[in-house]
Amino acid sequence: MTDVLPAGGRTTGSVNGTPGTGRRSALAWLRRHRALSVFAAVVAVALGIVVWGQLAPKGDSVPLSTGNAGPGGARAVSEILGRHGVEVQSAGKFEDAMSALEAGSSPTLMLYDRSGFLDEPRLLELAAAAGRMVLVAPRLETLTALDNDIRQAGVVPDASPLLTPGCPLPDAVAAGEISGEQGFVYDGGTSCYRPAGGAAGLLAVSADGRLTVLGSTAVLDNERLDEQGHAALALRTLGSSADLVWYLPSLEDLDTSASGQTLDELAPRWVHFLGPWLLVVALAAIVWRGRRLGPLVFEPLPVVVKAVETAEGRARMYHDAHAVQQARDNLRAGTLVRLAGRLRLGPGATADEVIDAVARHLGRSAADVRGLVNDQPGTEPRLVAWAQGLNNLEKEVSSR
Amino acid sequence: MAVSGRFVLLVLLGTVPVLLLPGWGTVLAVLAVLAALATADLLLAGSPKHARVLRSEPGNVTLHGTTEARLTIHNDGSRRLRGTLRDGWQPSAGALNPVQRIGVPAGEGRRVAVRLRPVRRGDLHAPHVTVRSFGPLLLAARQRTFGCPGTLRVLPPFHSRRHLPSKLRKLRELDGKAAVQIRGAGTEFDSLRDYVRGDDVRSIDWRATARRSAVVVRTWRPERDRRVVLVLDTSRTSAARIDDETRLDTGMEAALLLGVLAERGGDSVDFLAFDRRLRARAGSAVQGNLLGQLVQAMAPLDPELIEMDWPAVPAQVRAVTAHRSLVVLLTSLDGGAPEEGLLPAAARLAHDHVVVVAAVRDPQLDVMLRERSDAAGVFRAAAAERSLLQRAAVSAELRRHGVEVVDAEPRQLPPRLADMYIRLKAAGRL
Repeated sequence: MTDVLPAGGRTTGSVNGTPGTGRRSALAWLRRHRALSVFAAVVAVALGIVVWGQLAPKGDSVPLSTGNAGPGGARAVSEILGRHGVEVQSAGKFEDAMSALEAGSSPTLMLYDRSGFLDEPRLLELAAAAGRMVLVAPRLETLTALDNDIRQAGVVPDASPLLTPGCPLPDAVAAGEISGEQGFVYDGGTSCYRPAGGAAGLLAVSADGRLTVLGSTAVLDNERLDEQGHAALALRTLGSSADLVWYLPSLEDLDTSASGQTLDELAPRWVHFLGPWLLVVALAAIVWRGRRLGPLVFEPLPVVVKAVETAEGRARMYHDAHAVQQARDNLRAGTLVRLAGRLRLGPGATADEVIDAVARHLGRSAADVRGLVNDQPGTEPRLVAWAQGLNNLEKEVSSR
Repeated sequence: MAVSGRFVLLVLLGTVPVLLLPGWGTVLAVLAVLAALATADLLLAGSPKHARVLRSEPGNVTLHGTTEARLTIHNDGSRRLRGTLRDGWQPSAGALNPVQRIGVPAGEGRRVAVRLRPVRRGDLHAPHVTVRSFGPLLLAARQRTFGCPGTLRVLPPFHSRRHLPSKLRKLRELDGKAAVQIRGAGTEFDSLRDYVRGDDVRSIDWRATARRSAVVVRTWRPERDRRVVLVLDTSRTSAARIDDETRLDTGMEAALLLGVLAERGGDSVDFLAFDRRLRARAGSAVQGNLLGQLVQAMAPLDPELIEMDWPAVPAQVRAVTAHRSLVVLLTSLDGGAPEEGLLPAAARLAHDHVVVVAAVRDPQLDVMLRERSDAAGVFRAAAAERSLLQRAAVSAELRRHGVEVVDAEPRQLPPRLADMYIRLKAAGRL
């Protein structure tokens, strides 16, 4: 059938919707797009977890920080010092450290500048303000800036995991053995904990006693504070005065004022004007191409529908409903009509007459032909085979 | 207001001073110079306000033919008008050169021809003409759109014209002008003439032969001055496309061939296009060329998305003629419920007239019928089979009421309908 639907014939259902129908249609939409909905939910949950993980407050994880209770932190030693009457002031910025140093009376400064954030003037300022400085694993630049006789002298060899004091310093003698793992050795002043066959040691104290260099973080961190003589050495080294400023320089202490020239300063002057001018050119081009030569002209389009569309729709309906019986009836009736026409039986011929005529025409037994034509295929594969058989019968008749 | 590509090029050239003397001063200076040039050009451009555009009607053209739309532009201003003109034809008019350069001196006029090759039948429109007038530097232009409506009527192509000679020959054979082998039953007596070898011996007039020494035969001529009424269905079913053209277009081809043929056969022809109201009407009662009238009446027809009002059709036919005539219904056999529409109307008409129903058969259905390779194909074949069975049932019902049915594929419908007419005429049923 080639029915042509009038335009807009399908739009009547969705107007005049009440809130109830709206909710129902939303649910229906969800049901239709089930996979999409599940996927969207998973993505939303994953996104939420990532955002929460990024935004949630994190614990202090800075190495040797007094607030860091992890293995690499130094909360234990600072707490112990605090209990023994040493006022530990933690500083993360140069200004904080300076004010803390100036407030105390002859304070000790614990400086652990892992990345070399501090430059020479600031280091000298700190040295002048502090009564005593304890540098933990200082870099070459730091030592050079302080202009002391203590110098870097390499690392502790793997062959000597445990180091003995080997020097007359009372702190070291009291502490005894300490671990030398991943430690640096320093030369100059009075050096203790020297690995075998070297003059440089893990602990070095300058001649005036104002600068102590400790080459290993293992002595101070939470993980190994209770091993060997670490605790004794740490407490004696840091707890010699009533005030201790615990300064860990951060990225904010980096002096950026003396950085090099930017690309902008290096580029010639005309480059600044090239971009804006090209923008002007682009604008002119947009005006040139964008101005239409007169208004658009309306083209009324007539409605045209493919005539076979309705038959195809019916075929899909049969297929979706698995209408095997209906399809069989249609094909059988159509074939019989065509065979009757071919054999000139007239419009009033019954099915049995047609079958008999076909059997006579082909020289086959009537029962055989009747069995084929009147077969009842129950499933789709059998329907296909039966339809092909019917088609072959028709071809056979027309070829004779 | 519009700018040219030349102006954009000039702006690009402005990069050179800006780069040589970088500074905001230079940028502003170059911008000022560009603006001044554009303004001066605008002021010196011929004013399109003082232009007049006149259109001469392009008239008629057959589909896929070529014609020219002529415009005359007059410049009543004091400055020369130079620039471009765009004739705003709708896209299906197929304007080959809608945008043209013009140069009209002050006080003069120029003619512009736009070549059109329309791709759609019907009345095609050009609502306006736009003139863009550039200044002497060709940098900036003033633009104005004139309402200047024009209409081009595109006539149906009448491809079935090529069948006309063979059908006319058949008709002349009927007419006794050529040797007729068969005795035309029910036709009118025309004249007596001498027997020539090959004439049907049954047509020998023995009385006349007895009065003369030679054998005399009677000749007949087919009935003349009968009426043929062509009713073209323009309802929703005519919008269906079969083989690249709608049912409506196929119906027009068939109606044109039959109309011309019947007119040459000496019958009077009337044409109606109808769905719920009369869409077009033409006929040989009016003075003039019938073919011209038919194509003029058919050209603006479009399928209407409404149901055919079949009960009103007999009254429409009666309004054309009260006499017995050949009524040809150009429609479809499978729209909606034929037992409520087409069948009773055709049966009622068949009481007073000879009725022929001409319908287009979709060749795609036969293709679907042969698809038996898988389940989807078999279901398609079953659906096609059902469509064909329904058509066959409607055809059989129509024939039972004495209505002739011509059911053919689009290319075949016009000649098959013409054959039906010739057969009816030969049988003297008109």
